[in-house]
Amino acid sequence: MGTTALVTLICLAIVALVSVAIGSLGVRMARTTSDFLVASRTVGPTANAAAISGEYLSAASFLGVAGLILKDGPDALWYPVGFTAGYLGLLLFVAAPLRRSGAYTVPDFADVRLRSVPLRRVCTLVVIVIGWLYVLPQLQGAGLTVATVTSLPGWSGVVSAAIVVIASVIFGGMRSITFVQAFQYWLKLTALAVPVIFLVLHFAGDRRSFDRPAPPEFPADTTVSVQTDVTLEVSQPVSFSARGVLDGRQENGLVRWQQGTTHTVQQGASLTFSAGTSVPVVAGTPQTDASWLTPLSGKREYQLLEIYSLILATFLGTLGLPHVLARFYTNSDGRAARRTTVVVLAMLGAFYLMPTLLGALSRLYVPQLLVSGQTDAAILRLPAAALGENWLATALGGLVAAGAWAAFLSTSSGLVVSVAGVLFTDVLKGRLRSFTLATLIAGTVPMVLALFASRLDLAQTVVLAFAVAASTFCPLLVLGIWWRGLTDRGAIAGVAVGGALSAVSVMLSLFDVGATGWVSALLIRPAAISAPAAFLTMIVVSKLTQKRVISDVDHVLLRLHAPERLGLSQDRLPDTAG
Amino acid sequence: MSLAGERPAEITQYQQVQASPEFIQLKRKLRNFIFPMSVAFLLWYLAYVLLATYAPAFMSTKVFGNINVGLIIGLSQFVTTFLITTLYVRYANRQLDPLSEHLRRQIEEAGL
Repeated sequence: MGTTALVTLICLAIVALVSVAIGSLGVRMARTTSDFLVASRTVGPTANAAAISGEYLSAASFLGVAGLILKDGPDALWYPVGFTAGYLGLLLFVAAPLRRSGAYTVPDFADVRLRSVPLRRVCTLVVIVIGWLYVLPQLQGAGLTVATVTSLPGWSGVVSAAIVVIASVIFGGMRSITFVQAFQYWLKLTALAVPVIFLVLHFAGDRRSFDRPAPPEFPADTTVSVQTDVTLEVSQPVSFSARGVLDGRQENGLVRWQQGTTHTVQQGASLTFSAGTSVPVVAGTPQTDASWLTPLSGKREYQLLEIYSLILATFLGTLGLPHVLARFYTNSDGRAARRTTVVVLAMLGAFYLMPTLLGALSRLYVPQLLVSGQTDAAILRLPAAALGENWLATALGGLVAAGAWAAFLSTSSGLVVSVAGVLFTDVLKGRLRSFTLATLIAGTVPMVLALFASRLDLAQTVVLAFAVAASTFCPLLVLGIWWRGLTDRGAIAGVAVGGALSAVSVMLSLFDVGATGWVSALLIRPAAISAPAAFLTMIVVSKLTQKRVISDVDHVLLRLHAPERLGLSQDRLPDTAG
Repeated sequence: MSLAGERPAEITQYQQVQASPEFIQLKRKLRNFIFPMSVAFLLWYLAYVLLATYAPAFMSTKVFGNINVGLIIGLSQFVTTFLITTLYVRYANRQLDPLSEHLRRQIEEAGL
């Protein structure tokens, strides 16, 4: 193992140890989240905002966005825009009423608003599904990081990350306190900002441009080992030497591809290109650098449908994510919540500049990722590719990998705690009722998924969780808070329909069930269908069961919308702020 | 967390608040901001997507250096989100909070 690999492994190990240590030194969580709330209410809005941003920025934001920018150009901006706008949606529609209801989680809210035990059970199930779907890409990212930087196999990263997360939750038992999450934000920001500075300076001195009506070129002789089956499009004739199965035939030697052709390459093949050769790109993505710079220039069919579905998922799904909702309670009143939100959005915006810049630079320096399809590894490979094999590149590489691990671990622990909490409270009964068992289940299932599910781009996988949230909790919260007529049967029907549609299509995509045309575009991004379907079902079934609207619905709604501290809303903590 | 055990006095208090014109005004002010703003917000995002699909030549027009119109509109989506939030915060601080305070004082004086 080379020095780079060793140094990076040490950085990763340090981050892991620090996580477990801080977790075990932290406050033990009660079943409610009041402990960490108390801690959070004593810090100012900036630290609070940093904590929220820290927990929010996961593998998708750290690695995934850059990879998508490398591949798709400005179209990838929809992911960070969606994540950010979704947070704003949370503030406008849900945050204040939810806080006034006294409910900290969506199952709690279902209890307050509709008082239905079956609904609570359904919501609990949805929390678990969303939690697992969100942890999945974190663990995949961990596997990718380890595999990219060292020669260890991917599963070692997945398993070790899962172990660290489970250990830090069992020994600490809590969602990290504000302090740690705030620190995570600054660590992640630094882990990207420092390389950005060096790389942009390097780029400025390098005299290269994006503005060419030509595909990217390999900057040096490069060997690409293809990790997943990939379909490539060639825009300029290219010859290279290959060993592996190309277009269904075993090749071992020189291969020549003509302009405008499409080829398939099977996993395990190894292709060697010489410097200056143009790069074939994944079929459907922008081929030339000039078109890459222009929005919506990929030639995938149904691209508009994909984007629309993505927008729906991210804008609507954020307010259903368990780790995001709970963080909103760290503010003592509406004014503080608003101020915190402004700061959060500023921090998220500042952060997202980095992967965008790095993704753009990757197009120049690591274009081979366009061939292997492993664009998520862009930021990890960038320092060495741009700056060469020296101590600076190694240090920057280590820093980035450490930041990536911090992203995976912090988001995963928050989610594993949510899922374990729900398992502990609502699922495990009798002698099985132990938080340790709950945590083991909460952490092992996504680990198994990460080992066996097929790897989509990290950002896409995260959006799967958003899609389920958008199709289940979003309609429940929005209709529950703003519509008098929601009934328990309507809610259950809506959540079931939205949940089934989105979850089934997610499973199909994760396990590679093929389909063509708009069906396959929707399988990966179901929100365009499942979210409206959920809303519609909820409304229709509620109207049909009108008599089941709870008798004091006006009082409940009043409590949600009336100003705070009227004595109408029962906060779980005494309001010492006055 | 259910209201099942509330005493009649508190229920009357709820009805009082609900009926008060100040509360109705508060709700109306809130809705008058949130819903039009959300519609505008969504239309703006949609406009970006539609422009990109149906007016690619316009979107590729260069503004300076490598940066084209499409990129600028894309990056400004972030700015829009931030702007909307700031507007909401200002609106809430200036219009909603004072109403809310007033309402609270009224109720506290009258009710207890």
